[in-house]
Amino acid sequence: MAFAPMGPEASFFEVLDQHRASLLALLKRGGREPAGSGTRLASSSEVLASIENVIQDVITSLARNEAPAFTIDNRSSWENIKFEDSVGLHMVSHCTTRKIKSDSLKSVKNFALILKILSMIYKLVQSNTYATKRDLYYTDSQLFGNQTVVDSIINDISCMLKVPRRCLHILSTSKGLIAGNLGYIEEDGTKVNCSCTTAVAVPSNIQGIRNLITNGKFLLIVEKDATFQRLLDDNFCNKLSPCIMVTGKGVPDLNTRLLVKKLWDTFHIPIFTLVDADPHGIEIMCIYKYGSMSMSFEAHNLTVPAIRWLGLLPSDIKRLNIPKDSLIPLTKRDQMKLDSILKRPYVTYQPFWRKEIEIMADSKMKAEIQALTFLSSDYLSRVYLPNKLKFGGWI
Amino acid sequence: MAGTAAAVCEILKYLIIHWKCETAKGALLEGQLVISIEALNSKQQENTLHCVTTIASAGSIYGGLIYRNFLKEMQSVLPGSSAKLNWTSEEVSYSQDISRVTPFQMSFEVDEKPRTLMTDSLVIKNFLRKIVMVHPKIRFNFSVKVNGILSTEIFEAKNEPTLNLSNGIALVVNYQHYMSRPKFGTTQLLCSRIHPVRGHPVVLFIPNDVAGVDLVGELILTPAAAVCPCPEVSSNQLMNRISSVSIFLYGPSGLPLILPNQEQSITTVFKDTSYFIDWKKYHLCMVPNLDLNLGRDMVLPDVSYQVESSEGDQSQNMDLQEQTLLLILFMDFHSQCPVKQMELWGIHTLLTAHLSAILQESHSAVQDSIQFAVDQALEQQHQVAKVHQKFQTSLPVAVNSIMSIVTGSTSYSFRKTCLQALQAADTQEFGTKLHKSFYEVTQQRALHCSCEGKQHPHPEKNDPEESAEDAQENSSLELHAGTSGLAASKKLKGSLPPAVEGTRAFRSAGAPSPSEPPLRRGEPPAASETPSGSRAGPGNGNCPEDALWLQEVSNLAEWLRPGP
Repeated sequence: MAFAPMGPEASFFEVLDQHRASLLALLKRGGREPAGSGTRLASSSEVLASIENVIQDVITSLARNEAPAFTIDNRSSWENIKFEDSVGLHMVSHCTTRKIKSDSLKSVKNFALILKILSMIYKLVQSNTYATKRDLYYTDSQLFGNQTVVDSIINDISCMLKVPRRCLHILSTSKGLIAGNLGYIEEDGTKVNCSCTTAVAVPSNIQGIRNLITNGKFLLIVEKDATFQRLLDDNFCNKLSPCIMVTGKGVPDLNTRLLVKKLWDTFHIPIFTLVDADPHGIEIMCIYKYGSMSMSFEAHNLTVPAIRWLGLLPSDIKRLNIPKDSLIPLTKRDQMKLDSILKRPYVTYQPFWRKEIEIMADSKMKAEIQALTFLSSDYLSRVYLPNKLKFGGWI
Repeated sequence: MAGTAAAVCEILKYLIIHWKCETAKGALLEGQLVISIEALNSKQQENTLHCVTTIASAGSIYGGLIYRNFLKEMQSVLPGSSAKLNWTSEEVSYSQDISRVTPFQMSFEVDEKPRTLMTDSLVIKNFLRKIVMVHPKIRFNFSVKVNGILSTEIFEAKNEPTLNLSNGIALVVNYQHYMSRPKFGTTQLLCSRIHPVRGHPVVLFIPNDVAGVDLVGELILTPAAAVCPCPEVSSNQLMNRISSVSIFLYGPSGLPLILPNQEQSITTVFKDTSYFIDWKKYHLCMVPNLDLNLGRDMVLPDVSYQVESSEGDQSQNMDLQEQTLLLILFMDFHSQCPVKQMELWGIHTLLTAHLSAILQESHSAVQDSIQFAVDQALEQQHQVAKVHQKFQTSLPVAVNSIMSIVTGSTSYSFRKTCLQALQAADTQEFGTKLHKSFYEVTQQRALHCSCEGKQHPHPEKNDPEESAEDAQENSSLELHAGTSGLAASKKLKGSLPPAVEGTRAFRSAGAPSPSEPPLRRGEPPAASETPSGSRAGPGNGNCPEDALWLQEVSNLAEWLRPGP
């Protein structure tokens, strides 16, 4: 597969290459992520057997004249989540659980819905077909009530069976985009070349893609679609070729995170984030790097602790003399989020991040990436990012 | 109504009032009374029985009974001049000084037609049932011997679950007293109790045109409402429907106010079914039920309504568990001074003669109090119905999902294991058994009324000596149950009679509130918040099961409340 040959000279990537070398050395020294202790890939027959075991347990309870119940890990409880620098946020091995009882007035409906979705998953896996969470919801929207119920139960099932959602043949709708020096073949045989002028949607079946090819020197995760489009318009991928760009359009969906993880696992190229200098942007960056509470049970398949923060750093605001009228005061909600981030366990491991966050907290101001346009309309792609990448301006 | 029945009932009323006055305040009456009727063919008249009715007490309850006063009052009710009243106590007291308690026996003779005697027997039985409903520790031994053929029946509720009220009476809460067992074959009653909810006490005013009344005290009406049988009834998920209303009227000392077949003028106020209760809010249309069968082996209400029609599909749904709304109106007299027997007797007579007028005089307050009690009782039923509904919609989903997996599985071992577990020969039978076992297991646990399955209260728990405080507490529990998690309750004002003071005592334990008297005519109730989160704990007084029931209802209310 041939990629566009344009791009800076080889010396431009010296620091990047050094960074990559250090990352590889770290991996070799044992910084490699431990084997997944949460979910694990499972074959269709294993998934079917798992579901049958669950049903068998239910029937056995009934045969003993006992009301059956499901035992579900408390996925979204901080007491069940720990932080490891090599993984990020993930569930502890012996976590607290809750029971979904069939004879409890409060949980009988939930109990029934879990069985309902299990039966739907069973059929999907048996028939080797796929459906999105939305599809499942619409099979009986009146029964489920709302999408959130379905989403939560699917995650509970994934956690209960210790099988990632994609092995349940439930796809999440992708909203992310990819562009740049990357090619692959999807499960159905479709060949995808991301170096076209328009971006490519993140595929919905990450597990199924194969034959990934790239010469990319780095992967840039862009928080917002607006910034991503701006970079596409500025032909960034070619100017700094070879490279890959990804956006999750805000809080990333599961597939975008899986893709980023897959690219790291496959190529071990440096990954950087370009987010707004505000608490929301920092949180999104943390999701890519360390994971989220709600998906902590799948952390080993989703997190990339090697991610570095490229920009927009709060310290860049002062360094670049971005005028104050381009800045936005932090709201009360921003302040609360900032305080929350500062208390998270992973910030302790990132003193430079902590310092940047504290700069933001002290200044009580935030800035979007678009604030750089005050310097020039293409400052971001022409000056800011190239300088950052060339001289190692990441933390 | 003249005849043996009227005489027996009036005599018993007199005796019980006397007994009550002689018993410690708040204590339950305990003892045995024997009523026997021996009838032989009359030698003077054809087709007539000469009946000798004897009333005797086995224990020491009638010390101090003044024969002269007794005879004077009873002469007016004895059936005609043919009656002869004989007092055969060991010591007939003509003096007021006798305080020694002695057993006694009295009798009277009457000539009656056989059919009249039969009716009288049924009337007496019903009267005894009504007394036992609120005096569970009184045992009545009633026998009728006609030309040598004897039939005996015992009426008591000594070891049955009761709800102590604060004035020395206790309401039996075993549903079987009030209705026959539901006829649905697969119905399994999970709770054999009714759960009365009390309305707030109301002062009754005497109309000006009711002569001869000079009360030194207050006449208080306290309603209690309950759905019978308990809404948490069925293991076969029948929907509940109110099909009838039974109203019981009690006067002071827990005595029934009227007798069946008696002239019904005193209950004319209830002929208008909506006079005290708004049924429309429950989509019920009530009509008076005049078909009251004395021959039923349960207590006959004083007033009965039946549902004419109801909105919605329920009327077309044959799988309905019919329920009766019980409304019990207790009218009692409270005074700062000790109440004398003749005063109580006079009040009883007053109520018996002018009940409708008295209730009409205080219509607004009475209506408010009764409506409140009815609202609470039906709200409980409504909430239980909603819970049933939740189960009815959820369990079929679970069953069908399991069936989908089992029938869709290509794993022989899995299918075999599932079928063997439920001892099913094929998937069809498996489905049936799965359905059945799911419902049995979940319904028993989830719908099991917390008060069922417990041991019956020990007799000592109904001991009058400890019931004074417990009675207040327990009656307060029921009032609290009526308000917890639901519409705002109404504060009581002013100096409260004992029945109400117990409520105030309970409230002040949770949240101090100014004392307020019972509602009076013309005074709108002041709404107030029930102490939130306050729940009766288990083991309160005589009925820990009731406390657990209250918690269950409270839990239901919270669960059904829409959440974030």
